[in-house]
Amino acid sequence: MSAASPALSVDTLTTEIRSRGTWYQAVRAVSFQVHARETVALVGESGCGKSLTALSIMGLLPLGVGRIAGGAIALDGEAVSGRSDAQMEKIRGNRIGMVFQEPMTSLNPVLSVGFQIAEPLIYHRGLSRRAAEARAIELMHLVRIPSAAERVGAYPHQFSGGMRQRVMIALALACAPKVLIADEPTTALDVTIQAQVLALIAGLQKSADLAVLLITHNLGVVASVADRVLVMYGGDVVESAAVRDLFARPTHPYTSALLAAMPRADRSSAVIAPIPGQVPTLADMPAGCRFQSRCPLREERCAQRPSLTAIDAAGTHQVRCWVRGGASS
Amino acid sequence: MSDAPLLAIDRLTKVFVTRRGFPIPRTVSVRAVDSVSLTLGRGEALGIVGESGCGKSTLARVALRLLPPDGGGVRLDGEDVLAASPARLRQLRVRMQIVFQDPASALDPRQRIGCSLAEPMRVHGIARGAAAITRVRALLDEVGLPATALDRFPHEFSGGQRQRIGIARALALGPDLIFADEPVSALDVSVQAQILALLADLKARRNLSFVFISHDLGVIRYFCQRAAVMYLGRVVETGPADALLDTPLHPYTDLLRRSSPVPDPAAAIAMQLQEGEPPSPINPPSGCHFHPRCPHATDHCRAVAPSLVEITPGRSVACHLHAPATHT
Repeated sequence: MSAASPALSVDTLTTEIRSRGTWYQAVRAVSFQVHARETVALVGESGCGKSLTALSIMGLLPLGVGRIAGGAIALDGEAVSGRSDAQMEKIRGNRIGMVFQEPMTSLNPVLSVGFQIAEPLIYHRGLSRRAAEARAIELMHLVRIPSAAERVGAYPHQFSGGMRQRVMIALALACAPKVLIADEPTTALDVTIQAQVLALIAGLQKSADLAVLLITHNLGVVASVADRVLVMYGGDVVESAAVRDLFARPTHPYTSALLAAMPRADRSSAVIAPIPGQVPTLADMPAGCRFQSRCPLREERCAQRPSLTAIDAAGTHQVRCWVRGGASS
Repeated sequence: MSDAPLLAIDRLTKVFVTRRGFPIPRTVSVRAVDSVSLTLGRGEALGIVGESGCGKSTLARVALRLLPPDGGGVRLDGEDVLAASPARLRQLRVRMQIVFQDPASALDPRQRIGCSLAEPMRVHGIARGAAAITRVRALLDEVGLPATALDRFPHEFSGGQRQRIGIARALALGPDLIFADEPVSALDVSVQAQILALLADLKARRNLSFVFISHDLGVIRYFCQRAAVMYLGRVVETGPADALLDTPLHPYTDLLRRSSPVPDPAAAIAMQLQEGEPPSPINPPSGCHFHPRCPHATDHCRAVAPSLVEITPGRSVACHLHAPATHT
């Protein structure tokens, strides 16, 4: 690894959520780095803390309900956690681009797409409106929206779901950020359109040296586009590995269970193995390993929280499990 | 199959007519379901695959006569569903039910679960009062919910549990056939697997037939013996689910298969930058609807719509590439 600092670095980030007057840890000491041209995926089911991790990085936690309780976030080696809202506003959309799941709710329905793509350029870069809109057309070309010059004045409802997501990507990349956070960017799209949008992101990533943090629940998407993967459960990173290692040797019981529960298009499977029960609410999370209530390998020591331990010589494949992790207590 | 099919859909067509456009609106018609023919055997699950707007949900609603058809026929056990009198239709509905994608909007938020499940029994004169409650208890047990669910409201349940309630309601009348419209699409992977396993178990135990609508090829492959692929209102390919996904014949089936992510880095999805999007069903392309996105399209494809032709026993495809005999 080069000495260059990672484009995005998250170090023992802990985020708390308030529910009925009590603060609960919803993201627990999560650490990872994303380098230029690299895609790191956060994967897990609803409520595992993956989106909260993204919101924490962007400083968009809902006021009074969410707060960062510890840890540090750095862009290009420069710490950004603990900055004021006004300072974060200079960073969001400028140094970090964001793409969300539902482009219809992220785009303003009463403003033309051209203006919305131009807006960050006017705000962050001080471009004139005319220059910004000319740049917006170039960006629409870049994300392969056909006849961009004619459609720059069109409104979000005049675009299909896939085209709206392209608009979101153009908007996110308008100020040429080095980091793109994509939170379920293709979940609402049909598979053929999903393939196009993922290909578009991968292409732009190469040409712009982007670091991409991809948040998804879909292990298939992870296998196709990610370089490294963090599997999350109940706010904990339970397994972290290079994508090949994760699928070749899924080690945490939750990772194996997710894979076994997934019906596959590429092979005939008479059996899928459901994971019993459901994710406990934050208030009901067991102490110690948070997966223990649904885990077939549960032992007595699981009442203590296992640490994330390397299971390979290089130290890049890490697992948070007493039984499978081979960790000594 | 030697015995008569349980469900036979014959050239079923549904056209929606709307007025759109500004400032001068004009009448446009959308052939949401365009001459679709399918059959389903007893105890069989038929998957309907396709992307948004291909007409798969409309097909289910027309076949159940929740929407009036514009042509074609539907037969349940040989009996004409579309011609049935209102009284007879009510009797037929006992035998065919539907499970929706989003049980939160399919259940009355102000009705207790027990009430929701007993209502169809009362309406169809199957059971009422204490007898109905006994049946509801058995139903809840069958779908894996505690009897305490009886007195609770839909909002007190998680998404997976609500889908179990939706399934219980579809089973309340003891149907032979269930239309399942994206029943697991809104659920997380682990819960999705629970519901799929429940449906598979019920199918085996009650010898149920399913028309299973999904956009997820993995789900279709797990649950269904046969599958039909729809594109802009037309069936473009049918066949055994495994064979159809292993060796797709229609270029659209092939595109769907190669675009579907699987958890294997060695089998990454095909991410060619093909620009095609599904065209608007309001103004579908001439000839074969898929030709603007098809790498093999010829002038013949642009002019003439291919018909669904059986290529090998049990496998049919609507594509000129596979039916040279239809050229004249």
